Amino acid sequence: MREHLTTTALGRAAGAAAKILAYAVMILFTVLTLYPIFWLVMNSFKTTREFQVSQLSFPKSPTLDNFAGAWKLGDFGKLFPNSIIYTVGATVGIILLSVLAGFAFAKIKSRATKPIYNSFVIGILLTIQSLMIPLFLEVNLLGIYDTRLAVLLVYIGAGLPIGIYLATEFIKGIPNALVESARIDGAGYFRVFWSIILPMSVPVATTLAILNVSNIWNEFALINILVSSTDLKSLPLGIYKFSGSLSSDYGKQFAALTIGMAPMLLFYVVFRKQITKGVAAGAVKG
Amino acid sequence: MSRAKRIDREEGRAYWTMVLPAFAVYLLVMAFPIVLSIILSVSNYNGGKMFGGPKWGFAGFGQYARTVADPLFWNALKNNAYIVLVSVFGQLPLGFIFAYIIYRRIVKWPGFWQGVLYLPNIISIIVVGLLWQTVFSPSGPIAEFMNSIYHRAFEAKLSELFAAAGGFNVTDGLVKRILDLAGPSGAAMFANPVPDLKDFILSYPQGHLGQVINDLANLFAQKWRPAFLTRPDQAMLPVLFVILWMYTGMYLILFLANMQKIDVQVIESARIDGANEAQVMRHIILPALSGTMVNAAILAISGSLSSFALIFAMTGGGPSHVTEILSIYMYNKAFLGSPNFPLANAIALIMVAVSFLLIALTKALEKRYGGKEE
Repeated sequence: MREHLTTTALGRAAGAAAKILAYAVMILFTVLTLYPIFWLVMNSFKTTREFQVSQLSFPKSPTLDNFAGAWKLGDFGKLFPNSIIYTVGATVGIILLSVLAGFAFAKIKSRATKPIYNSFVIGILLTIQSLMIPLFLEVNLLGIYDTRLAVLLVYIGAGLPIGIYLATEFIKGIPNALVESARIDGAGYFRVFWSIILPMSVPVATTLAILNVSNIWNEFALINILVSSTDLKSLPLGIYKFSGSLSSDYGKQFAALTIGMAPMLLFYVVFRKQITKGVAAGAVKG
Repeated sequence: MSRAKRIDREEGRAYWTMVLPAFAVYLLVMAFPIVLSIILSVSNYNGGKMFGGPKWGFAGFGQYARTVADPLFWNALKNNAYIVLVSVFGQLPLGFIFAYIIYRRIVKWPGFWQGVLYLPNIISIIVVGLLWQTVFSPSGPIAEFMNSIYHRAFEAKLSELFAAAGGFNVTDGLVKRILDLAGPSGAAMFANPVPDLKDFILSYPQGHLGQVINDLANLFAQKWRPAFLTRPDQAMLPVLFVILWMYTGMYLILFLANMQKIDVQVIESARIDGANEAQVMRHIILPALSGTMVNAAILAISGSLSSFALIFAMTGGGPSHVTEILSIYMYNKAFLGSPNFPLANAIALIMVAVSFLLIALTKALEKRYGGKEE
């Protein structure tokens, strides 16, 4: 009896210790994660002179001048619409092409499915950044260097392997009977696609949207070699401008970084649950 | 018969109309560049129009030989390996621990911790790179923080000296002690240290002892200019730290999502049967996650090979190439100085080969040693 009591008391003590330790670890890493971001935003409200005197204190007289300055200097008025075009265009393209092909792979029997589908799955493992240089030469060869088309094509192509994999696996789960009964009623495949498959694929389409929106919005390496004129650049390219000769103008640099961070932060705050779910679903490699 | 044929034909047409757009884009963006890379890597093409421009042709496998003979290539490959190691031995275990703490409800507010720790993943890598470049800079916040500590410590020592001398009572002895405190670099600021410093202190009005102490500390206290990103032998460390900072949350999400697939009743009944937390971990959670671990390791490998923007923004591969990874090394060969496209393409193919090799290796290890899932 007594022994039993002590073990549970011990167990409770150990449990409490573990709890304290767990909280300590979580709080430590939370601070480590949030403080740099907070620090960045805080300093975007300081003048460059105040930043140089004191980087760690709160801004004495917060100013919004940096934001106006950075917005103008970085041409953000042009870059924002571009980023939206690339993100929305490529995401919609990836979803549409993936669900279309996924439908064909999952529901129409063909000997071509195995080799083509497998080639997409292999593509999941391929890191497209390693193909940066040949892609650059290819778009030059095709005469589409420095065009929106090149950016959209590359983004869609890069998103397709995982998109097609997830869409095909998802559509396989839609009962064949649904497709067959519609077919017997005389519906063509595209009719079936529009009225049955597409509406039922909303969950996988959401996952794909979540996965691609933040990836494409933040993408830098590829667009960096695909366009050169300011009219076509995306937000990350504009922010990078603040690293070179402009980097000593801390006030504007921090404002630019905050501007660059804000849309995705907002997106994250609104869609956090879907984002974490989508990431877990999309983190498949082979 | 003819009806069946018509249906077959309709089926075939529908199939290809649905598959071809995706397949065409995929070939254009993923397959064609590889073919182009293979051709160019053994050519002497060096810019200009590919057709109708300067003549170019087959030039042998020299670029591959040049690449493997270049110490900078091996340096870049080594840095890629460091990134994989930080992922596998840093992000994976940390992410696993966080996921376990949240999954077993050892802490409250599971959504909050998850939300916070994943946050860096959604920030633009360029923003992250530039942010941390400033943090680690010689005059950044880390330096300011350390220097304010030095400053305060120096002020405390000065206050002691003045207190011992009985306040603002500037004698040669006191000045000498202050100079001792300042060390040789402090004395070197003056032609005749003792009288000069004495004059300097006496130039302050009587009541301003605090001001004197503050100014003397500004003058003499040790100033630290950290060289995190400028010293070749350690510049890779901050980069690896930032990679850890940025992506650990992704592994947390990955592990947590897969832990949540485990049947809660299995764990509960094991606990009721007397299994302790360690046994639950060893016999239920870990075996259920072996597939996820392999998946995470593969993510780490491809993540390492696809990283570019962080280092591009944070160090640009410098100082003197030490923080280059393969993608940056390749980029520099193609776009920095006189372009060498054959060489850059050879590196691209080596990268593709390395990634497939490593992933095949991981898969083979899983087959040989991996636990059984489900």
